[in-house]
Amino acid sequence: MPAYKLTYFNVRGRGELIRLLFAAGEIPYEDVRIESDNWPELKPKTPMGQVPILEVDGEVICQSMAIARFVAREAGLLGKTHLDQARADMLLDGGIDVGKLFEEMVMEKDASKKAEKKKEFGEKTLPPFLALYEGFAGDNGYFVGYSLTWSDIAFFNMMDFITAEFPSALDGYCNLTKVIKIVKRVPGIAKWLKERPITDN
Amino acid sequence: MAPKYKLTYFNARARGELVRLIFAAAGVEFEDVRFDYEQWAAFKESTPMGQIPVLEVEGRTMCQSLAIARYVARETGLCGKTSWEEAQVDMFVCGADDLLTKLLNVRFEKDEATKEEGKKGLATYVPNFLANYEKLCGPEGYLVGTSLTYADLAFFEVMHDILKVTTLDQYPKLAKVVENVTTDKGVSAWLAKRPDNPS
Repeated sequence: MPAYKLTYFNVRGRGELIRLLFAAGEIPYEDVRIESDNWPELKPKTPMGQVPILEVDGEVICQSMAIARFVAREAGLLGKTHLDQARADMLLDGGIDVGKLFEEMVMEKDASKKAEKKKEFGEKTLPPFLALYEGFAGDNGYFVGYSLTWSDIAFFNMMDFITAEFPSALDGYCNLTKVIKIVKRVPGIAKWLKERPITDN
Repeated sequence: MAPKYKLTYFNARARGELVRLIFAAAGVEFEDVRFDYEQWAAFKESTPMGQIPVLEVEGRTMCQSLAIARYVARETGLCGKTSWEEAQVDMFVCGADDLLTKLLNVRFEKDEATKEEGKKGLATYVPNFLANYEKLCGPEGYLVGTSLTYADLAFFEVMHDILKVTTLDQYPKLAKVVENVTTDKGVSAWLAKRPDNPS
């Protein structure tokens, strides 16, 4: 088996999807978490001056989604056909668009601007997105076909962040609630959720 | 017989051109539908997420420009030969898309002050991007491996406006990538006939 080493900050952020995929696939890996103080020294050694990075048997890649997609493939969670894989990609990318707006809101330092962004997100952005994705999720609790793919896990991860600010966001969405339930019960993920370090974001 | 693939986008390059370049490089025919804003307004409801580009194939429709590009690249063998090569190709395409997003944001920004700030940001971002890509580029003028992948096409496309004001003299490997892309049989034929759009 190859030796996998993930390096990121001690946060969930852009690394957690990757960690969840390693967990789902029950693939052992080194989960390196660096302190901000150590980052300036590491930065020039990375491919594009960013983390997360993944080292596999001495070779390195960056870009969180490229890494996640690679690990999803290693874990057999990409999707069975090219069209299934494309559907998973499409749903993930649609989620990322919304995730970016959520991130902007969380990172906003000005208190009144943040409150405004939160209201806008909670009333104008999130509901149509969830309604759309409720339609995309099958009533069997999978976004693609009839089995788990990384798009289910990515949705779970995103909602993990979002429900911290909007706890009742998924009320009334039966299919989406099923997706979350199924992901949490994947043995590797259930174990990881119990063991993972608790971080603010 | 109608082509297997139908791409619908605006009459622009922006987030549609990478897919068109992949079809061109692969020598695969596709229906290249270009909407104006009126046609778009009528079509919007029928798209998966209220956005274009969309790709229709075998009666199914998908959206999200990178998801479409990746699918077409996989179907046409332009996404890397091994799992690791695919990951490297992905890395380069995602990085190019980060830059494309910044470029498009500046281009379409209406507020002058924000636009100027964006341009200033690009003045440091672009040289850094090029230095990284030069360092990571393969030795034969392909970002990954020893033949054209859609990473090379994504790099070429994002450089479209930048190459009007910068040369790649400092970046010989990247200059070779651009040369390999523009001399590719399918791509050069496409570049000769594609509509000339400002963005």
